[in-house]
Amino acid sequence: MCTTRGIPKSTKLGLIIGACLLSAPVLASELDALKQQVEDLQTRIKEVASKQSEWKQATSVVHLAGYGAVSYIDSEDSTGSFNQVQFAPIFHYQYEDLMMLESELEITVGPEGETETELEYLTLDLFLNDYAVLVAGKFLSPVGQFRQNLHPSWINKLPSAPPGFGHGGAAPVSDTGLQIRGGLPMGGMRGNYALYIANGPELELDGGEVHEILAEGRTRDIDGDKSVGGRFGLLPVPGLEVALSFVTGKAQDQTEVQPPQDYDVIGADFAWQWRDLELRGEYLRAEVAELPSVEGGEWQTWYTQASYKFLPGNFEGVIRYTDFDSPHADDDQKQWALGINYLFAANVIAKLAYESNDGQTGSATDDNRILAQIAYGF
Amino acid sequence: MSYSIGPILAPVLLAGVLSLTMIQGGVVSAAENEPKAGDITRGAQSWAENCMRCHNMRDPREFRDDLWKPIVTHMRVRAGLTGQEARDILAFIQNSN
Repeated sequence: MCTTRGIPKSTKLGLIIGACLLSAPVLASELDALKQQVEDLQTRIKEVASKQSEWKQATSVVHLAGYGAVSYIDSEDSTGSFNQVQFAPIFHYQYEDLMMLESELEITVGPEGETETELEYLTLDLFLNDYAVLVAGKFLSPVGQFRQNLHPSWINKLPSAPPGFGHGGAAPVSDTGLQIRGGLPMGGMRGNYALYIANGPELELDGGEVHEILAEGRTRDIDGDKSVGGRFGLLPVPGLEVALSFVTGKAQDQTEVQPPQDYDVIGADFAWQWRDLELRGEYLRAEVAELPSVEGGEWQTWYTQASYKFLPGNFEGVIRYTDFDSPHADDDQKQWALGINYLFAANVIAKLAYESNDGQTGSATDDNRILAQIAYGF
Repeated sequence: MSYSIGPILAPVLLAGVLSLTMIQGGVVSAAENEPKAGDITRGAQSWAENCMRCHNMRDPREFRDDLWKPIVTHMRVRAGLTGQEARDILAFIQNSN
């Protein structure tokens, strides 16, 4: 054991001072190194923090959304097939809180394997203030709720659209023009509105009658008379929305042989949610006035749908009744649709449904069908 | 029912609605002095009341904060939300993921 007893105090002091003098340069260099390390770390932290918050300063942002679906349908009088492979990307480009470009493509595989691509909508949305957005371009029809809000396969609770709400039905699909829309506080209630002016539809004539209303957005207006339409929704209490819709204008034979005919649509819809129960319904009537040389016609459809989530929310039962009437007996259809869905996630859904269809005997609208679909919204 | 609104009346109608919303914007913001920033509490309520109107609730953790911004802006247009409701919902989602 080392001891310092017997060493004079003056010698001890000398030894300590000597040791301090020897170690001082070493401590100073270590401190300098530590200081440098701290400064380096502080610089790195600033760099990382700056990178992490870059998005907050960015004036533009890009986002890809959309949905995809694969369906199988087996109907009474035809062989079952995987009849739908659908990819619908939606592009969002936003500049500050001023402008957003939105566009949805619908890419599908046709019956012979060909790829079909359609521009479902493309709009430039200019945010005028907290209560008004100016929408310019080809937009989904705001008439009713199915076309503008419920048609994506991951949102629609059944694998099919209600009769009359698809292409060639009573409900307008899209239009091209200008639209103003937004939300409005109304005391204790809330409201929303959409009002547009657009090119309007055209007519496909067959002999002396209207075969189909071509109500998909076009970039020409052969009748020269703009259509005006819109929807006004009211939410008197949370969970309940009621709305009225209209369109008025003219529509002309697409071959321009016949003069324009008056075209009018009225509609009403509602939606109500309470816990895991949801009820909704919609009514639309489109009317084309007659001419001396062309018969007019009325396309009318309505549906009501109930759905309920059960067994911790992963399963969902759906029932929908639709009644579609048109001037053509082979298009008329009454349909009960029953479905059961399994939600792997809120946006990943497997659907199985049965349709009991009542249409003109011998026509496709009379065939009962079994449908299955997997849909993914992203 | 057969009537037609002429090409002159239609733009007048749109201009009228636009003017009303401009007036609404001025009156409401001046009267209620609404904050421009999103409010998390109000956003939670708006999120619960509006998203389910059309589709299943999406998990706030599904996307990064920066991606939620265009998503909520898209939903503002589609669901007829006010600008303040959209900011409130965005604030709520960005604080919940």
